[in-house]
Amino acid sequence: MAGRGIIGRRAVLAAGGAALGLPLLGRGRPAHAQAAIGMQLSWLHSVQFAGSYIAQDRGWWREAGLDVTLLQGGPNAPVEPPVVSGTALVGISAADYTAAAVAQGAPFKILAVAMQKNPFVVASLPGNPVAAPGDLPGKRIGMALANTPVLEALCRLNDVDASAVTVVPTQYSAAPLLNGEVDCLLCWETDLPVAMAVQGVESVTMLLADHGYSVHSQTYIATEESLAERRAELVALLSGEVRGWEAYREDPVAAARLTVARFPDAGLDLATQRLQADRQVPLMFSDLTEARGFGWWTEEAVAANIETLALLGRDVTADLWDRSILEEVHGA
Amino acid sequence: MSPGAPPEVECTRLSKGFDGGVEVLREIDLRIEAGRTTAFVGPSGCGKSTLLRLIAGLERPSSGAVEIGGRPPAETLRRAGLAVAFQDPSLLPWRTVRGNVELALKLARRRPRPRAVEDLIALVGLSGFGDARPAALSGGMRQRAAIARAMVTEPGLLLLDEPFGAVDELTRRQLAQDLPRLWEARETTAILVTHSIHEAVMLSDRVVVFSSRPARIVADVRIDLPRPRPAGTTADPHFLALSDRVSAALAKGMGDRADGLAAQ
Amino acid sequence: MSARAAAAAFRPAPNGLAGAALLVLGWEAAARAFAGTYLIAGPVDVLAYLSGNGALMARALSETLGNAALGFVAGNCAAILLAAAAQLWPRGRAAIAGLALLVFCLPLVATGPILRVLLGPGPGPQIVLAALAVYYTTFVPLLVGLRAAPASWFDLVRSYGRGPVTELRRVRARAALPYLFAGLQIAAPAAFLGAMVGEFTGAERGMGVLTVRAMRALDVEATWALASVAALVSILAYAGIGALAEMVLRERPPVILSPPGAAGRGAGPARGALVLALAVAAWWIVLEAAGLPTFFAKRPDDFWAAFVTAPDAAAARATLLGALAETAIYVLPGYLAGLLLGAGLAIAILLVPAAAAVALPLAVALRSVPIVTSAPLLVLALGRGAVGTVTLVAIMVFFPSFVACLHGLRQAPGQVLDVFDSYAAGRVARLVHVQVPAMWPAFFAAARMAVPASVLAVTVVEWLATGQGVGSLMALSASLSDYDMLWGSVVAVALLSGAGYVAVGAVERRVLAVYAAEQVAG
Repeated sequence: MAGRGIIGRRAVLAAGGAALGLPLLGRGRPAHAQAAIGMQLSWLHSVQFAGSYIAQDRGWWREAGLDVTLLQGGPNAPVEPPVVSGTALVGISAADYTAAAVAQGAPFKILAVAMQKNPFVVASLPGNPVAAPGDLPGKRIGMALANTPVLEALCRLNDVDASAVTVVPTQYSAAPLLNGEVDCLLCWETDLPVAMAVQGVESVTMLLADHGYSVHSQTYIATEESLAERRAELVALLSGEVRGWEAYREDPVAAARLTVARFPDAGLDLATQRLQADRQVPLMFSDLTEARGFGWWTEEAVAANIETLALLGRDVTADLWDRSILEEVHGA
Repeated sequence: MSPGAPPEVECTRLSKGFDGGVEVLREIDLRIEAGRTTAFVGPSGCGKSTLLRLIAGLERPSSGAVEIGGRPPAETLRRAGLAVAFQDPSLLPWRTVRGNVELALKLARRRPRPRAVEDLIALVGLSGFGDARPAALSGGMRQRAAIARAMVTEPGLLLLDEPFGAVDELTRRQLAQDLPRLWEARETTAILVTHSIHEAVMLSDRVVVFSSRPARIVADVRIDLPRPRPAGTTADPHFLALSDRVSAALAKGMGDRADGLAAQ
Repeated sequence: MSARAAAAAFRPAPNGLAGAALLVLGWEAAARAFAGTYLIAGPVDVLAYLSGNGALMARALSETLGNAALGFVAGNCAAILLAAAAQLWPRGRAAIAGLALLVFCLPLVATGPILRVLLGPGPGPQIVLAALAVYYTTFVPLLVGLRAAPASWFDLVRSYGRGPVTELRRVRARAALPYLFAGLQIAAPAAFLGAMVGEFTGAERGMGVLTVRAMRALDVEATWALASVAALVSILAYAGIGALAEMVLRERPPVILSPPGAAGRGAGPARGALVLALAVAAWWIVLEAAGLPTFFAKRPDDFWAAFVTAPDAAAARATLLGALAETAIYVLPGYLAGLLLGAGLAIAILLVPAAAAVALPLAVALRSVPIVTSAPLLVLALGRGAVGTVTLVAIMVFFPSFVACLHGLRQAPGQVLDVFDSYAAGRVARLVHVQVPAMWPAFFAAARMAVPASVLAVTVVEWLATGQGVGSLMALSASLSDYDMLWGSVVAVALLSGAGYVAVGAVERRVLAVYAAEQVAG
């Protein structure tokens, strides 16, 4: 689960100290191995990336001459460095992160959009619900301070006084909500609410995307250099992705089963994966993808993204999105 | 010159002061003959041990020079041509008696000499304690182990700093009989620092008496008693006469200090 | 009691079973007190989880333990080599110690991605991070240990015309053993935790991966089962090393007599500048040699540009200094709390040996439970204010101080304790007159180690709980690809640690000139 989720998912854990490793221990893989391709996932293996597992499991990439390695993410594994350094050809990012990286000089383009709707929600308990942005004032919200711009953007979009909301910096967990430290959480539709449901706790979620917050998530990014020089590999990789996700759509339960079976050491639990698989379907699939295929986006969506990103302090143009690979994949 | 050949030792206008302006030795001129045993006697804290450490090259003089066989002490050190039995036995607690004695051979880059090691251990009266660690020994036994360690490399120059301080009286007498035989047989140049007039006269060919700090030489007594010197030597009138001379010199050296204090 | 009671430093006391039972009871009580918070699971629930998921846990454990073991060996070997080099090359000592400190200051958020890109998807980063988590806490005590021998032993070696190498082999190596064992005991939980945290950089499997997932999934049983296994492994390793130490170190410590030397030159400004220059050169050379893109591996000139010459440099500086000021406020109280907690616990165990049965396993457990697991509980109990922050920092920092001081107290010379025995002197008298003075070198080693540890710990707490300061800034910068600010934060953390280190050194020289002249000579 990439995304602006929380700083916890990509950020520091400086405990124990750390360092500039042993510099010459290894140079990693060569930047451009022949058919060996890395795809950097944005989080730990889960049904969040099940489309990729299906593509790999059914050999669609192998048939296209690709040997794809899915590189797992983690709390301290940002997506951008491996893509810039060439360790990964493609990374799973989100429009806001990509915009930030581009502002820092990374030559990224967004090639496809898995989550049409941003998965951010404000989650609360039914006894003290946040059902609409207007419910936020007076509430204590648990989140990473780094996500303050998200909250502010939501409030601006809905004419709510952001200063009336108390931000409590918390780890990315539902526990602060359940033990009463906060009234609501800023989190993803597909993780903490799912965890609560599996523990038997019903929660109320307010999807930010339903209240004007338009930021593409789980986007496929690559460098301009790769776009220019490795088009064939990119097309083959995304073709597999599209087929995988279409298969996922057909049968999310099978996708959840495959995920659990594929990673026996990951501590995955089928109930959680099934629920997560169900909950991400409406975020990823719509009439648009029905019509144009998985990963597609419209100019209107890009315009809305640019507007929301501006509220987040990111000035981008429509050039950030490059649909040429996807057009080849879908034969448009 | 082979590492073991006994050298002569020459101190020229040797002075030593420590930080804080404490002057320990002032302009000592002293020539120590090769192959003889010389004892340094003087009041406690007068600087005898410092002189010994200067000769051993463990300290640098503030001025003046020490030469061993015409060379600076550092060269003798490099050849492992000398050995020191320290006042504090300084045995390595994690090695056995034998291990500590053998260590000297290793440090001096000599071949192992198991027989010699055992003989020396026996000679210093530690038979049966070769496998004991220092912690299991009495203070006197530790000192004897340190003496064995000093002697095992058969150094040309042997420096003994109060080697019998913690040894009981009987053993001390025995050692005073046995040890000199060893170093005399090889004509070792030996320098012995001691408080004991008896020990100094009994063991050496010459006794140098120092004043209190800063140390000066107040007497230089030649001990012309025949060798070997059996236990009965201590009753010999000549022994007693020599002891009296040393004793008188020592008293004079300490008197100097009293005068000095009175003058201040 | 003397040496015998102090030997408790190495192993759980014989009444360890009773102590363990007490701990488990306390744990269960805490779990009940916090029931319903989704923050803690008691031993009963943990056992139930383990019995149902034994195979999964065993696979994860073998992965993490393997990486931790390799990191433990590599890190400690590096520490031994560095300490030996610093001893043999006195002029390079300041540079080696300075660079060792700076490398230890580098936070995971900066190194994680670099290691992953350099070493690929395998266990490389986990092993390196485990090694990095342990080398410094072995290196610092070793520096002390290599000097902890009576001057007369060195005279002995020199009287045979042998030099520093022989000294090192025959005398210093052995004299340093108690300090080496202290370092190894500190390293045992640190290596395991380092390997776990290393898995946060995108590892495929292991206990760190499972911890991240379990916490996200509100799976408290799994979270605390993982923490319990980590703690148990660490306690066993700690006790094992202690048993080994007891087998090897049979002699009573010697009286270390050393003439007061004309010593006491500290890291003067010239040396400080040299270390800084070397650090900058190493920073540049390492990243260039590895061929890492400047996008995320910023070079010194990028740093200079971002914070000095760029048009928005003033704003960047203001952001960084503002965050640094927020962090600095908590560093000193956190540092002192950790150091004093460690030293105090060590002394308490000496005065009340029976307390060791509870205190030792508790100390190791506190150190080996990942802070991401324990922090939410402590935050709930103590709040996000000064008390909570300082407590969290102290918990992350105290362990090396505790172990080093415990070993330091044990260096009280046996001969001197005998003299006290002959007067039937009490525990407090021994403590005040013999054991604490004997502890000073180890205490100051602890004080040095605690400097970077507390700075890093404050940044972690800022990220976990307060959302302020450099810790929060680093997290934010990393998530926004603002690697200029991230590296700027790394520099700030390193400079803060360096300043603290120099300050500790100044105090150390004054104290040790009296109590352990051999430590400050030359």
